[in-house]
Amino acid sequence: MEPLIGMGVLALMGAAAAIAGMSEDLESDVGSQSNPNSQVQLAPQMMYPHRIFNKAISGEPPSNALMCAIGGTTAAILMDSMGMSVLFSVAIGALVAALAHGSYSTMSFFGRPASQKRFKQPIYLDVLRSHIVAIMAFAFVTTFSIVIISYLMITALGHPFPLALLAFIWGIAVGAIGSSTGDVHYGAERQFQNTEFGAGLNAAQSGNIVRKGEAGLRNGIDNLWFCSRFGGPATGIAFAMTVFLSGWITLVFDPSISLTIGWLSVIAGLIIVLILIIFNRKLEVSARNTYGPYKSDKEEVAA
Amino acid sequence: MIDFAAIIAENILYLLLIIVGGLLVAIGVHFVPVGGAPAAMAQSTGVGTGTVQLAAGAGLTGLVAAGAVMQVTDNLLLVIASGMVGAMIMISSTMLLGNMIYIYGVGVPPASAKIKYDPITRDRQDLYISQGTEGHGVPTSCFISGVIGGGLGGLGGAMVYFALLSVTNGTSALNVIGLASIFSVAIFFINAVIASYNIGGTTEGFHDPKFKRLPKAVVSSIIVTFISGILSLITIGGL
Repeated sequence: MEPLIGMGVLALMGAAAAIAGMSEDLESDVGSQSNPNSQVQLAPQMMYPHRIFNKAISGEPPSNALMCAIGGTTAAILMDSMGMSVLFSVAIGALVAALAHGSYSTMSFFGRPASQKRFKQPIYLDVLRSHIVAIMAFAFVTTFSIVIISYLMITALGHPFPLALLAFIWGIAVGAIGSSTGDVHYGAERQFQNTEFGAGLNAAQSGNIVRKGEAGLRNGIDNLWFCSRFGGPATGIAFAMTVFLSGWITLVFDPSISLTIGWLSVIAGLIIVLILIIFNRKLEVSARNTYGPYKSDKEEVAA
Repeated sequence: MIDFAAIIAENILYLLLIIVGGLLVAIGVHFVPVGGAPAAMAQSTGVGTGTVQLAAGAGLTGLVAAGAVMQVTDNLLLVIASGMVGAMIMISSTMLLGNMIYIYGVGVPPASAKIKYDPITRDRQDLYISQGTEGHGVPTSCFISGVIGGGLGGLGGAMVYFALLSVTNGTSALNVIGLASIFSVAIFFINAVIASYNIGGTTEGFHDPKFKRLPKAVVSSIIVTFISGILSLITIGGL
């Protein structure tokens, strides 16, 4: 394949990955999934009933992998057996995945607060009605983007894996990245804005999540608004970096030309990792210098 | 009737490769710094997700990279090196952006609670831990440990995939690729879960005291990968 066309395809995949990463994280913020949901679940037990959507179908990677595998399988069947166009098949696949995700979310939303009746946590039907649409919309966007990435990898870059499996693997990856990056912004900052910024979150604060919004009582859509300003885009960048950089090295140094060029791609990848390690170190040093220590050194004071 | 013994005898070298690959995955997961649910609330050092989840995300990204390279070359070393690099890129991007959120989104510097000084940078850690937490973020030693862990996971996953794809069989290449990739994912998950149980929730990487539990995981990983390796060999070789 022409290197320039390959680069264009990779750029398109990177853009789709940025959208997939962002929508994945925002879906988990509006619906409250994964680790931060432990606080949403805990709050009523600490006598803090709330109006935040409470669902944790499973960890984010398996949940997204399921969605993307459903989307990928449906799209593959429509394309191969029924001869439908690619865009139409992928859109229908994503729609089926969004419907499946919506039904899991609804069951999860009814199940979790219902188990907290003794702590006087109500089940708000208006919260379900307003949030489920956003959850399904984000699920649709994530699945659509991931299946498009997988399809491009197979048709344009000649990847040997079947569409459903590739979508499954990228679903696992996007879930792992969303759970590791964007969710921290929701779990450590948005849920605990009642503590001073940068003070850290004392374990004694567990369950004491913010329940009052900018206007009225806070719900998942308020959290979505806040997290879309940093957590969501950061997840998008992380996933786009993963998809783009891991593809870029084998596209520029194509192993099909010769074995030596193949090894050059490995070296290029290692250099990228080294740059990321150095970048992280710079970030760490600047954070330590800017924020300073939390306590003074008792040994030095005593000396 | 499928001759099980003949299939295993014919592919004994690949069975060994599968066991080594599975073992590498189990060892790699021990290096990955994960803080679980507390880390998502910036209450413990490491990445704010589960062990299996992050290791699987990285290792399977490596598997995708290895699959792409395996299409054009049959050089074992290049295939597994590509898998390693793909996984390393995924895990370092994730940890870097995760750290950015801890620093700019939550306002806490990366700090480890298990050690007083970072073994690589010699930076003091205990003074930078906020009150009532077990550290937060991904300091340099955890970051490098994570890169090693992700790399080993990718290496192991790619090795299993290479071995399964090389098993002698009588079916089309497309079927074998599908089966080999699914079995690789399965063997990867089995070993990641073994390591995760051994760690018991959270770890900071190679400097964490829990890292000393590694020998137990090695023994269980060899046994389980042997069984799953034989199953996958018979399935693919018997077709």
